[in-house]
Amino acid sequence: MTQIYPSLAQCAVVAAAFKILLFPAYKSTDFEVHRNWLAITNSLPLWEWYYEKTSEWTLDYPPLFAYFEWILSQVAKLVDPSMLRVYNLGYDSWETVYFQRATVILTELVLVFALQMFIDSSHGASKRAAQAAAISILLSPGLLIIDHIHFQYNGCMYGILIASLVLARKKSTLLLSGLVFAALLCMKHIYLYLAPAYFVFLLRTYCLSPKSIFKIQFLNCVKLGAGIVAIFGTAFGPFALKGQIPQILSRLFPFSRGLCHAYWAPNVWAIYSFVDRFLIALAPRIGLAVKAGALQSVTRGLVGDTSFAVLPDITPRVCFALTLLFQTIPLLKLFFQPTWDNFVGAVTLCGYASFLFGWHVHEKAILLVIIPFSLIALKDRRYFGAFRPLAVAGHVSLFPLLFTPAEFPIKTIYTIFWLVLFLTAFDRLAPASSRPRFFLFDRFSTLYIAVSIPLILYCSLVHGIVFGKSYEFLPLMFTSSYSAIGVVGSWVGFMVVYFAS
Amino acid sequence: MAGSSPSPHKPRRKAKRAGNGTELSQILEGSISPEPQVRSPSFPLAAFLWPARGSVSQWEILPLILMAVGLFRWAAGLWGYSGFQKPPMFGDYEAQRHWMEITTNLPVSQWYFHDLEWWGLDYPPLTAYHSWLCGKIGSLIDPAWFALSTSRGLHDPTLKIFMRGTVVVSEYLIYIPAAVVFVRRFSRLAGVSSWTASVALVAILMQPATILIDHVHFQYNTVMLGFVLATMSSMLAGRYMWSAVYFVAALGFKQMALYYAFPVFAYLLGSCLVPRINFPRLFGISLVTAVSFAILITPLVLGTLSDVKRGIDPRPDLKGSRPPLPLFQGLADYIATDTFYYPVVEQLVQMIHRVFPFARGLFEDKVANFWCALNVVFKLKQYPSELLQRGALLATLATIIPPNLILLFRPRKLLLPLAFATTAWGFFLFSYQVHEKSVLLPLMPMTLLLAGSKGLGKETRAWVGFANILGCWTMFPLLQRVDLRVPYVVLTLLWAYLLGLPPTSLSAYFQEGSSLWSQWTTVLIHGPFYLAMALWHVLELFLRPPPDKPDLWVVANVGIGAVGFAICYLWCLGRLVVESEILPRSWFAKKGKAKKQ
Repeated sequence: MTQIYPSLAQCAVVAAAFKILLFPAYKSTDFEVHRNWLAITNSLPLWEWYYEKTSEWTLDYPPLFAYFEWILSQVAKLVDPSMLRVYNLGYDSWETVYFQRATVILTELVLVFALQMFIDSSHGASKRAAQAAAISILLSPGLLIIDHIHFQYNGCMYGILIASLVLARKKSTLLLSGLVFAALLCMKHIYLYLAPAYFVFLLRTYCLSPKSIFKIQFLNCVKLGAGIVAIFGTAFGPFALKGQIPQILSRLFPFSRGLCHAYWAPNVWAIYSFVDRFLIALAPRIGLAVKAGALQSVTRGLVGDTSFAVLPDITPRVCFALTLLFQTIPLLKLFFQPTWDNFVGAVTLCGYASFLFGWHVHEKAILLVIIPFSLIALKDRRYFGAFRPLAVAGHVSLFPLLFTPAEFPIKTIYTIFWLVLFLTAFDRLAPASSRPRFFLFDRFSTLYIAVSIPLILYCSLVHGIVFGKSYEFLPLMFTSSYSAIGVVGSWVGFMVVYFAS
Repeated sequence: MAGSSPSPHKPRRKAKRAGNGTELSQILEGSISPEPQVRSPSFPLAAFLWPARGSVSQWEILPLILMAVGLFRWAAGLWGYSGFQKPPMFGDYEAQRHWMEITTNLPVSQWYFHDLEWWGLDYPPLTAYHSWLCGKIGSLIDPAWFALSTSRGLHDPTLKIFMRGTVVVSEYLIYIPAAVVFVRRFSRLAGVSSWTASVALVAILMQPATILIDHVHFQYNTVMLGFVLATMSSMLAGRYMWSAVYFVAALGFKQMALYYAFPVFAYLLGSCLVPRINFPRLFGISLVTAVSFAILITPLVLGTLSDVKRGIDPRPDLKGSRPPLPLFQGLADYIATDTFYYPVVEQLVQMIHRVFPFARGLFEDKVANFWCALNVVFKLKQYPSELLQRGALLATLATIIPPNLILLFRPRKLLLPLAFATTAWGFFLFSYQVHEKSVLLPLMPMTLLLAGSKGLGKETRAWVGFANILGCWTMFPLLQRVDLRVPYVVLTLLWAYLLGLPPTSLSAYFQEGSSLWSQWTTVLIHGPFYLAMALWHVLELFLRPPPDKPDLWVVANVGIGAVGFAICYLWCLGRLVVESEILPRSWFAKKGKAKKQ
C-alpha cells in the first residue's frame, strides 16, 4: 500500500520544534501545580502525598498520576534538585522550565503512538481520512494551548484514551481496551464522564453474548472484573491499607466549588448565566423578583458562588440528573447496536452531556468532546457538518486561558491556521452521506463560523480600546456565550446524526 | 501582496502560456529534461505539501504558508534578544529602540549628530524614517518607551512585544511579498511547476539565518533584503526602472546592500547594451536612480533647512565655532560656511561619515572571512591600515569582477541569483569591515536557487543547504553570547530536517539517477565540514579552551567557516560560468566537471 504524506512522524517532528520554541512562553499556575506534585511525590513518603498542604495546589489527581509524577521526579533530580523541595514555592529556574516543558513534549509520544494505531486500524478508502484526523488531533490548537503554553499533560492522557478506543475496534483486544481505560481513570478522574459509554459497550460486546443479551459470558466477566480490580488495587491499594481513601476522595471531588468555573466554560450554564444577567435589566419591567443578594455579589460564577438573580438556582443534584439523562439517551442506542462507530459516537455524546450540564466544568474539558469526535468526524459529510461548529467554538472558547499579549498572535493565528487547514482538508476528504443533509444545519454552521471573526476582533482589540480595563467580564461572557451556542448547536446536530445513522 | 501585483490575473495567464511554451520547446530540443515524475516526496518539506499537488490552487496554500512561517517567527521571538539585561551598552535591540527614541524626539538635523557614543545613528536615512514611524506608533501605546534619554536600556516586556511586532510587520510588508512574487516569476521562467515553487517558497521563508538574526537576535535586515528581492523580481519582469527604485530603497535602508550594487549595475547596464545598445533605457534608469536618491534624502534636507530657519543647531552640545566637515574637507574651500545650503551639505557629509565608517579596522570581532582567518596564521595588525585597505580592495575586486563581467555580457534573468550570490560571497570574504551577520547577504540569493530549475534536486539542495547551515553555524558564537542556543538548534535542525540535509538525513547526497562520481565529490567536500561542525559543537559544549587561548573555539569556527564560504563562492562562480555558457562549448564540459567538485 502506498504511504500517505505527510506522515504522522513528520508532523510530530515539526510540531515538536514549534513547541520547543514555545518554552519561554506564558505558563499558568498549573506549571507550579505540577512542580509542586513533583516535589511532593519525590520528597515525601507515600502516606503523606494526599495530606500535604504547604502549597495551595494540593495533589488532587488519582494515584497513578502521582506515580507518574514520581517517575518524572527521578529524572528531575538529575536536572535541578531545587525544584523538588516542597517549600520552594513558585520556583521556576530555567532548568525547571526546560525540564517540565520537555516532559510534556516527550510524554506526548504516547499520543503519537496511539494515533498511529488509529491510522493502522483503518483500511481502504478511509485510511486517508484517518490520517488527516490523526494529524488534526496531533496538531490540535487545544492541546497546544493547554499543554504547551498553559501547561498540563493532556497529550499523554488523551493518547491513552485514543489507544483504548482503538483497541475496542477489534474483538480480540476488547479486554485490553477496558483495562487501559481503567488505568486512565486512575490517572485523571475527569474521564469518569466517559465511563458510562465504556460500561455499556463492554457489557454488551464483551460480557454478554453477541447473539442474545440474556446469555452472559462468565469467563469474560471474570477476566474484565479481575483486571479492573487489579488496576484499581495497584493505584489505590497502598492508600486503602492506611485507610486514606476518604481523604483521597475529598481531594478528587471537591464539591464545595461553584457551578461555573472562574471563566465560564461554554456550556448550558453559561447561556443560563447570560440570560440571568440579561433578565436583571429586564426584570423590573416585566415584574419578576430580583434577589438582592445575588446582585451584590461581585464574584458571580466564581468558586463557591452560584447565585442567580432572577432564574432559579442550580444545585449539583440538578446537574447530575441532567448529565445522566443526556448520557443515557445515546447509550440506549449503543446497547442495541454496539458497533465501534456507535461506541465512539456514544463516548463523544457522554463527553458532550457532561460538558454541557456538568457541575463546575472547566473549559479545558472541551477536549473530552473534540478529541473522540475527531476520530469519527470524517465518517461522512453529516458528521463533519456537526463537527465544524464544535471545532470553531471549542477552540475559540480556550482563548481566555491565555491573556498575555505575547501569546495572542500564537493562539489566534495557530487556531486560524488549524481551522483553515483542517476544515478545508476534511471538506475534501469527507465522503457524501447516503442520507440527505440537513440544509438548515449547514447554513447555521457557516453563519456561525463567520460570526467568530468579528467576535475575536471585538474581544481582543475593540473592547480594550473602547472600554479599557472596565467591564472586563464582557469579552469573557461574549466568548463563552458564543462558544456555548456553537457547542450546543453541534451537540444537537450530532445527536440527530447519531440517531439517524 | 496585493500591492505588489496589482493586476493578478491577466499577465499571469499570459506568462504561464509563454512559460509553458518555451519549456515545451526546450524539452523537445533536449536542452532541459522535464521534471521527473516522482512517486513519493524525497524530503519532508515536500511531504508536507504533498497533498496540495495538482488540484489545489497555489493561492489556497499561500495563506497557510504565510501563517505557518509567521508562527515560527513569532514563537522564535519569545526568546531573548541581543543585549537583554547586558549593561552598560546592551545590544542591537537597544540600538534600534534608541533610533526610534531620537528620531521621534529630536529635530531632523540632530539625528546624525546626537550623542554618538550611545548607539549614534549610523544607518542611511530610510532606516531613520522607518524608526521614526515605528517610534511614533509605539509612543501612542506607551510614551515611556521612547522618552528622550530616560528610556535608554529599557527592557519593558510589552516593549519587546511591540518591537518584535515591528520586525514581523516590516517583513510581511516588504520581504515576504517580494519573496512570493520573485519565486513565482523565477520558477515560471525556469519552467518549474507551481507546486515545486511553493515548496521552494517555504524553504526560502524558513531560512534559519534570517529568522535567527531578525526575529531572535533583533534587526531589520529583511527590510533591506526584501527591497533587494523586489529589485531582482522587477528585473525578472523587465521593469528596469522599478528595479532601480527598489535598489535605491535597499541602499537607503542599509548600506550593506552595496554588496549587491555591482550585479545590479552590471545587469542594468548589460540589459541596455546587449543585444543592442538601448540609450533611452539607459537614460531612463539613470534618471530614475538619481530621482530616487533625491527623494530618499529630501526629508533630511527639508528638515535641516527648516531647522536652520527655526534656529535649531544640529549640535547644541558644541560651543564655539563650527567644527570642520568630518569628510571631504576640501569642500570647505568651495563652500562658504555661511551660505544657506552649507548646513545641508554638512548634514549629508555627516550622514555619509556615519554610514561608512572608514576609520574602523579591517574586520570586527571574529568573522568567518578571509582576513580574520588569515589573521590567525599571521598577525595583520602589524601592517599599516592603508596597505590593508588597499589589499582588501584589490582582493574584493578580483573576486567580484568575474561574476559581474559575466552578467554584463550575458544579462540573463536566470543568472541573477547566482551573480548576486557570487558577488556577495566575494564581498563577504574579502572586503573591509565585515560583520558575522553579513553572511545573510550571500545566503539570501543563494537560497533563491531553490526556486530555479532543478532547484530542489539533489545537487542544488545539498549546496544551498550546506551554505545555510554553515552560515548559521558561524553565527553561533554571536547567538550563544545572548543565550540563544535553543532557538539556534531548533531552527537550524528544523530547516535541515525539512530539506533532508545533514545532520538529519543524507538523502540529498545519495539518490538514484546521478553519476556516482559527482555524488562522491560533493560528499567528500561537505562531509568534513559537517563533521567538523558537529565535533566543534561537542568540544565547545564540554571543553573549556586552554587559558592562554580563550578564543580557541571562536577562532576554529572562523577558520572552518572561511574555508567553507570560499568553497561556496567557487561553486556559485562555477555554476555561473557553466549556466551562462560564456565559455566555448568544447571547453564547457571539461570546465563544468572541474567546477563541480
